[in-house]
Amino acid sequence: SREAERPRTAMAMAWRAAPRAAARLLLGRRGIASCIDPSTGLTEDQKEFQKVALDFAAKEMAPYMAEWDEKEIFPVETMRKAAQLGFGGIYVKPDVGGSGLSRLDTSIIFEALSTGCTSTTAYMSIHNMCVWMIDTFGNEEQRHRFCPSLCSMEKFASYCLTEPGSGSDAASLLTSAQRKGDTYVLNGSKAFISGGGDTDVYVVMCRTGGPGPKGISCLVLEKGMPGLSFGKKEKKVGWNSQPTRAVIFEDCVVPVGNRLGAEGQGFSIAMQGLNGGRINIASCSLGAAHASVLLAQEHLSVRKQFGEPLANNQYLQFRLAEMATRLLAARLMVRNAARALQEGREDAAVLCSMAKLFATDECFGICNQALQMHGGYGYLKDYAVQQFVRDIRVHQILEGTNEVMRMIVARSLLQG
Amino acid sequence: QAIDDDCNQTGQLLAAMLDWPQGTFASRVELEAGAVRVQREVDGGLETLRLRLPAVLTADLRLNEPRYATLPNIMKAKKKPLEVVPAAELGVPAGAPRLKVLQVQEPPARAGGEKVESVESLLGKLRHAGCI
Repeated sequence: SREAERPRTAMAMAWRAAPRAAARLLLGRRGIASCIDPSTGLTEDQKEFQKVALDFAAKEMAPYMAEWDEKEIFPVETMRKAAQLGFGGIYVKPDVGGSGLSRLDTSIIFEALSTGCTSTTAYMSIHNMCVWMIDTFGNEEQRHRFCPSLCSMEKFASYCLTEPGSGSDAASLLTSAQRKGDTYVLNGSKAFISGGGDTDVYVVMCRTGGPGPKGISCLVLEKGMPGLSFGKKEKKVGWNSQPTRAVIFEDCVVPVGNRLGAEGQGFSIAMQGLNGGRINIASCSLGAAHASVLLAQEHLSVRKQFGEPLANNQYLQFRLAEMATRLLAARLMVRNAARALQEGREDAAVLCSMAKLFATDECFGICNQALQMHGGYGYLKDYAVQQFVRDIRVHQILEGTNEVMRMIVARSLLQG
Repeated sequence: QAIDDDCNQTGQLLAAMLDWPQGTFASRVELEAGAVRVQREVDGGLETLRLRLPAVLTADLRLNEPRYATLPNIMKAKKKPLEVVPAAELGVPAGAPRLKVLQVQEPPARAGGEKVESVESLLGKLRHAGCI
């Protein structure tokens, strides 16, 4: 069909139009239906954080999201602008350049940024998790050496846990780190590393001791260290604004002073990092789903068939209502888990798993439904909804597959 | 143009009281030695004035893009001291407001329009009404 006949809703144009136009549209539509307004129940401060993040997403990310995806651009300058606002180390302590905010504040911020570009926001959340690990488990020298330049995003970080032979069974990782004097010598490889090859700092889980979780330690590596190399850039269905590569260690020499925490503490560090990581990824899914609901809502109002706007069709009305209801349920679960983690409650880890499971599954369904509501147009890359679908599909897989999330919840119910 | 009463008077009144030149609705400001070049949007396009300093300028939303607030600044905002200064300390005479509202009325209701058949007919009607 001809270009001119395509339903160009104002909403759809927001993700392709010039920054000012995009901002006007996205900001005007922020709380389009008060039932899914993401600012409900937040404190004044949290509403301010959310406003900054939504402004930034609308003006600096949404207009470029499609181009970053198509050309596989890692938007370094945009992320640095975000870091200037404090988004490079959101829950990192201020004495090393972080913003010192809570897990709930963080969730709100990532959810908001994700409406602009989910893939980029997801990378930023991984970066944030790495900085937090160094901030929390590093000694004073390490914190001051690494964190400031990471908080400002002068340098970028990647997290290396998964290997070709160990995904869900993370504790069976094989990358070895042999102690030699005051260094470790690493051999092995990591797979699917977000940012790998383009980033500067690598937080690597490796085996310094015997088999199982207790033999794992955490080392911080830097690009340029001899013996550290990268595989080819993977071609992915989504998350194209961040490069993904294998990270390879061949007799890579790392000073002992780069170890975070004690030998054997690595797995615990990884698991604690993942609790926050799961909330962050779930928050990214929430943002994508919210944006998709807005896109669907506007498309239904504009597109006519059988002489009427689609919005007059009761089936579609009911579907939209279900999408909104599930979005709100998912959001509440994620925010509930964030509060639990912040308070250090005993059930925090399980709640994070439940929230990640529920939110990533439901939000994918919401984005997919939104695509369906667009009909044939939803399948075209001209329309943003397909990118939200592609970008959040992987959230059901990484940070612990949703199957592993079920294992964690079941174990808690039957053994805990 | 304040968002409460929409009066669009404060800048202009100030300039008159000080007897300084004024440039209002500034969408572009360029400083020169001892003067300022002010541009504003008007119906027909752009109007640019060159004013000797000192001058009074009022800003339009087209003048610039506000910066983003940073997260640390948002948190510090709550802790900033809020200094309350009584009007008397500034030498401002206390008393009743000097503006008196005389009347508030709705604009006149729109009268119905009329469709005409030809351009000549339109011109005739406009002449008859004293519009041209």
